[in-house]
Amino acid sequence: MKHIYVWDIFVRCFHWLLVLGFAANALIIDDDSKLHIWVGYCVLALVLARIVWGFVGRGYARFASFPPSVRGAAAQLTDIATQRNHAHVGHSPLGALMIYNLIASLLVLGLSGYLMTTDMFWGTEWTEELHELAAIWTEASVIVHILAALFESKRTRVNLPKAMVTGFKDMPEE
Amino acid sequence: MPINKMSRFPLGLFLLMVVQFFCAVFFIGDVVADYRAMGGLTGGIHFWVEVFATVSLFVTIAFEAKFLLRLLRREAHLQDRLRLASAAVYDVIEAQFDEWALSPAEVDVATFLVKGLDIAEIAHVRGCAEGTVKAHLNAIYRKSGTHSRGELLSVVIDVLLGQEAAGSGTAG
Repeated sequence: MKHIYVWDIFVRCFHWLLVLGFAANALIIDDDSKLHIWVGYCVLALVLARIVWGFVGRGYARFASFPPSVRGAAAQLTDIATQRNHAHVGHSPLGALMIYNLIASLLVLGLSGYLMTTDMFWGTEWTEELHELAAIWTEASVIVHILAALFESKRTRVNLPKAMVTGFKDMPEE
Repeated sequence: MPINKMSRFPLGLFLLMVVQFFCAVFFIGDVVADYRAMGGLTGGIHFWVEVFATVSLFVTIAFEAKFLLRLLRREAHLQDRLRLASAAVYDVIEAQFDEWALSPAEVDVATFLVKGLDIAEIAHVRGCAEGTVKAHLNAIYRKSGTHSRGELLSVVIDVLLGQEAAGSGTAG
């Protein structure tokens, strides 16, 4: 077992604050309340901060360390198909695609939500439709993200949820 | 490592699945909204047709996923050289592996075995321990009714030559 430091404190705080904010807005807080709007701004601020950190951060937090890659995704799917096992230290290629999907979905969600509060777009139908569509897409993505993290933890025998708490991955020796 | 080289990834199929998933999510949202608006299961036949359509879309995606994984398995076991010839050979061998009901991992190990890799090399390519490969080997021998690598190879060669598989000792 190799004990490797993967997720820095910023990435972990971002992840779990995002979980709190998104879950609160999606499941608990009333959609029409002021609180929903403020939590939404916080989520948007978190995502923007993560984007900045993707350029100025170090190591596995950088976007440059997990570029979207068809070849990488294909190799990971092949590993799944043939039940081979090559664990990834940072984001896996499919995981990286999910991160970009979530960042984009949350940006659309946050911006459409913001537009709904402006004088210019207040009460327009398309902003509301877009906001609802982005919400359900993000919710579905979150469900897939959770299931995939559990599946990959089982497949590669690296506890991914734990790594997002402690920051360390226990990689099996080859 | 030529074994991991991806020459033909079915990107179109993958993108189609993503689009279908997007549609399925959209329909689910619609079904849930209908259910909430009705305040219970009072929608009658129209509601259930919607549920059926959505569920069948998810089933379709699952089948496509299975097909995609099968394609990738096949692609992983074929090398670029002599693609056509080796594709035909691989089809015959794979049919035999299917008949023995080998799992995907066992098919992978058996394919490397036929290609002449030793246990340490197979373990390296598959990213697992040698003990794991040995466990797969035992399952392969058990399912094919053989007892050694040589015996397994001779069965495979028999199959390729179009003779009856020596299978589980039934051929005479």
